[in-house]
Amino acid sequence: MLLQKQFFGHESVMMLSKELLYISRSNISTEINKTGSWRFLTPIYQLKSSPCTEKCPLSQDISRIEMLVSKGKFKEAIDLILLENPFPSVCGHVCFHTCETACNRKSFDEPVGIHSIERFLGNIAIAEDYKLNIPIISFNGKNIAILGAGPSGLGAAYFMRILGYNCDVFEIKKEPGGLLRWGIPAYRLPDLVLRKEILRIESLGVKIHCNSKETVDSLKKSGKYDAIFIGCGYGKPVKMGIDGEDLAIDGLEFLYKIRNGENTDIGGHVAVIGGGNSAIDVSRSLIRIGATPIIFYRRRIEDMPAFKEEVEAANVEGVEIRELTKPIRIEKDSEGLVITLNNNNTFKAQHVIKAIGNEAENHWKLLLDSKENFSKFSRTVLVNNHLPIVLGGDLVNPVKSVADAIASGKQAAMVLDSFFNHREVTNSMDIYTGGDRKNRSKHITSIEEINLDYFEFSPRRDSEIEEAKRCFNCGICNDCDNCRIFCPEISVNFKDNKRSINLDYCKGCGICITECPRNAMGLREEA
Amino acid sequence: MRQVLEGSHAVSEAVRLAKVQVVSAYPITPQTHIMEAIAEFCANGKMNAKFICVESEHSAMASVIAASAAGVRTFTATSSHGLALMHELLHWASGARLPIVMAEVNRALAPGWNIWMDQTDSLSQRDTGWIQLYCEDSQEVLDTTLCAFKLAEAINLPVMVVLDAFFLSHTYEPVDVPEQNEVDKFLPPFLPRINIDMSNPCSLYQMAPPNFYMEMRYSIFRAMEETISKFLEVEEDFYKVFGRKYGILDSFQCDDAEIIIIAAGTTASTCRQVVLDLRETGEKVGLIKIKMFRPFPKKLISDALSNAKKIAVIDRNCSFGVGGIFAQEIKSALYKNKNMPTVFGYITGLGGRDVTPKMIEEIYFKTKEEHYPEKESIWFGINYELFRN
Amino acid sequence: MNFSETEDIELMHPGHVGCPGCGAVIAMRLALKAMGEKIVLVIPACCWAVVSGPHPQFALKVPLLHTAFETSGAAASGLRAALDMKGDTETTVVVWAGDGGTFDIGFQSLSGAVERNEDFIYVCYDNEAYMNTGVQRSSSTPYGGQTTTTPELQWKKTRKKNIVESLSGHRISYAATASIAFPEDLIQKFKKAMNLKGCTRFLHVFASCPTGWRIPSELSVKIARLAVQTNIFPLYEVEDGINYTINYTGNKTVKEYLKLQGRFKQLSEKDTYEIQKMVDEDFLFLSQKVKLRR
Repeated sequence: MLLQKQFFGHESVMMLSKELLYISRSNISTEINKTGSWRFLTPIYQLKSSPCTEKCPLSQDISRIEMLVSKGKFKEAIDLILLENPFPSVCGHVCFHTCETACNRKSFDEPVGIHSIERFLGNIAIAEDYKLNIPIISFNGKNIAILGAGPSGLGAAYFMRILGYNCDVFEIKKEPGGLLRWGIPAYRLPDLVLRKEILRIESLGVKIHCNSKETVDSLKKSGKYDAIFIGCGYGKPVKMGIDGEDLAIDGLEFLYKIRNGENTDIGGHVAVIGGGNSAIDVSRSLIRIGATPIIFYRRRIEDMPAFKEEVEAANVEGVEIRELTKPIRIEKDSEGLVITLNNNNTFKAQHVIKAIGNEAENHWKLLLDSKENFSKFSRTVLVNNHLPIVLGGDLVNPVKSVADAIASGKQAAMVLDSFFNHREVTNSMDIYTGGDRKNRSKHITSIEEINLDYFEFSPRRDSEIEEAKRCFNCGICNDCDNCRIFCPEISVNFKDNKRSINLDYCKGCGICITECPRNAMGLREEA
Repeated sequence: MRQVLEGSHAVSEAVRLAKVQVVSAYPITPQTHIMEAIAEFCANGKMNAKFICVESEHSAMASVIAASAAGVRTFTATSSHGLALMHELLHWASGARLPIVMAEVNRALAPGWNIWMDQTDSLSQRDTGWIQLYCEDSQEVLDTTLCAFKLAEAINLPVMVVLDAFFLSHTYEPVDVPEQNEVDKFLPPFLPRINIDMSNPCSLYQMAPPNFYMEMRYSIFRAMEETISKFLEVEEDFYKVFGRKYGILDSFQCDDAEIIIIAAGTTASTCRQVVLDLRETGEKVGLIKIKMFRPFPKKLISDALSNAKKIAVIDRNCSFGVGGIFAQEIKSALYKNKNMPTVFGYITGLGGRDVTPKMIEEIYFKTKEEHYPEKESIWFGINYELFRN
Repeated sequence: MNFSETEDIELMHPGHVGCPGCGAVIAMRLALKAMGEKIVLVIPACCWAVVSGPHPQFALKVPLLHTAFETSGAAASGLRAALDMKGDTETTVVVWAGDGGTFDIGFQSLSGAVERNEDFIYVCYDNEAYMNTGVQRSSSTPYGGQTTTTPELQWKKTRKKNIVESLSGHRISYAATASIAFPEDLIQKFKKAMNLKGCTRFLHVFASCPTGWRIPSELSVKIARLAVQTNIFPLYEVEDGINYTINYTGNKTVKEYLKLQGRFKQLSEKDTYEIQKMVDEDFLFLSQKVKLRR
């Protein structure tokens, strides 16, 4: 009777036995067919690396950061940066952003404006007094001394603290920041930005001792420290090796005076020698104090190592650049200085500022030449004579940049930690501490692996969210859901914000992999 | 209420009284009067039904199949080529076990074009799983149509009510058209066993693989077997309300008959008169009118013919290569009879040619005089002159 | 895109017998998400008549009425009439037919139903040949296509029938093309069709067939997208048979579409050029119609 009712929907009609009325009426779910047995290739979720992250000295998870920003998840994005970089806003202001030169989008239209998004996030963190929300290991009993409160020293302190060490930073100058504080003009890096980001490091319990006279020897003698990090940078200007070189002012010294609020007594025509960011910083600072800078650069303008945007900004501000020229002699005359150039022309100026770079002080060079108990890493050197000492920053970094300096500090933290704990040194703190990125494939996604059907030609946007949406999110999942949308087998499960493949039914058609715009899936052959 | 109606309108009135909900049909002579009248009923509110003016008979059947599967009472009508065009869907309707009722006006198939009476169209659909009921006059048409709904719904098989082209469809006769309340007593509202249920989504008529298909076909076969008794029940119900019944077979003057004429449709009426006339002259002749052709009432036929010596079957149809279709079926029904009568199969009256009382008399005497039929199928009334070069 | 809350329901079961990468299955899944469960499907003979499952199995969670190959338009008419008689105005009748059942054998009943302006949605999922019977040409097979009945150099030398234009000629209230590669557009069009009650609505969905087109299953969606990007299968809508809207203008060459598919592998440069000319001509013609909007 019950069967009849189910079969016909109601009971009141004249009964017919099933033998007399047996029809093809079906309602048993096809779920009983495990079509997964058809499969000979299995799709897997396999996040991969992106070229921007690969190029970033700090190995920031850029494609994921952009993804979070595109969804307005700024806090998560800030956390992700802070996992790898204590200076988002500083870097957003002054980093070379090599990431953008590696961006897969550059051959499609324009690279994503990664650094402006980083600056945006860093500024939000500052404006909202954002509290650090990353896992910090509680104090492990070991004390580290850090010489120099520049980007590498502060970086080392930050990451050492994250790894559980107590850090004392000793700075010879009256304020921390190193080159960031004294070498970069405020119009490029506002004081507040630097101060706030250093404060955040201090908020972890890192102690910064300014006007410090500590040396390696004094620290060793104190017996208080289990290891020392040296990040003292390049304090000694490089020599041009020409007559009258002493008549030239050192660029960093000039910038220091400006940043220290001192009167420089510089005006009129000023010859600036060099083509790097310092030369531009000096020139643009000169404009700001009413002087007329003229840059002399030995190669062509397009060869200048300074940021293109900086060169352009200098141009706009009225800085003259004379390419393919270099001074061969500087002399004094009654009106000021006479510079003789390689083309035998002369140029009259009130002052000459040389900004051709700096080098290490001699005593650091000696330490680096010690060769005993010496281990070399990509950005640091570990010397272990009774007490482990790590040298980092410009002293050993192959590339001298703010991001590289911070990265060197990060590597120092890992080098020292691995000295105590034997773990593998990497570029990423997330990978080092066994975070999610550890499972990511090292394969770097190329533009050929991006499904460009999902992207429209679009030049850079002013809005950071819109700009972040331009990011291909190479190699990572941005929850676009294509794998689930297109699956003909309803075999992509989505639960607790995670996707998984239901292998009971997946026939291995591979559409999910092809339609993943960003190469976040892969294929495994069935055994 | 007694009215003078043509056979077509007797169908239409029955459809109205049966409160059919969806009607779909396509014009073909001589069926058109049926659908025209129904269209008018729908238009003037005498019927609360949807009339779908489809673009072919094929679509007419397709649409009533779908409507019936959705659980409403349905009707369509056709004839000849229209029926042939429906062929595929006739199988579908019975396989789907839908209680669709269709009026089929017996008409010849082309070429050459012929709009007149011939049984081949309906009889060649004998294997489609439809119940087939043949009618003799307009009253029987109306009554059978009403019974058809009840029968179809009782056994979940489609029913074809068959009437002769023009002799019945276009001939006016007095017909007792019952009142609605009486019909309602006989025919309750349709309670479908097969229905599209939104709360229990099923797939109806899903692909049936070999391990299921055969049982579904067996079920149709079994239902056809049950139809004989179901029909009698339905007729009994009808009789209680209206005092009329027709029987699966109508045996007329058969008790002592040595020769029995067998016919269907209006031909039976002519035969009836001839039998009466011959009885006057002392001939021991009877008539069996076959009303139900599918399911074929084998047992009833074999019983009814058990005492006859000879049988004369009048087929207004032909299965080429074999002969008259009624004759074949009757022969097959007699297979187990102890006293096997001799069956004379006459093919006559095709394509609207008259079958006159005189012809039937001749058929009777030919049957009586010949010991054994000269041929398996006797083509009666052929004008051999037409074959002369 | 992401599924909205109402779209994030599955009205289809896994475990169906569709070929790996079947575009018609993707089409059904997306369409069901757009239409929801208040529908009855009418399916004639086609791949989906099989994919929906052999008795007693069923791959869908909405009622389905199977019907004979050529009868969809009529069956849907009858079903609609029955639902109306039962007072069920909430349920939408949706035909789900292949190209053979629509362009060829079912064209008469479709035309009849559209002319009567029957109240249902007719969806043709187009895989451009009789795939269920083993890849024979249909009138939807494109110029240049190989099938088992247009084999080798006897590839189809006539154009694909333009079904949307045919129905526009009936002044159908709403006709639109959609592609499995553009799920957002597809879902939006199905929703639009659902909301337009009381008239016949036609949706022509391009559904790639890896088996019949001889393409790797993983390219199923990509190929469907290329068909749009090359203007071979333009996405557009026609209201009342005269108001045209083009939803996407492609800029890729037909070669990019043709070269990926085994069914076109025999075409020469010249043939490809001819096809490009046809496609350009068709798209220009379509663009001109957009300008005639009322």
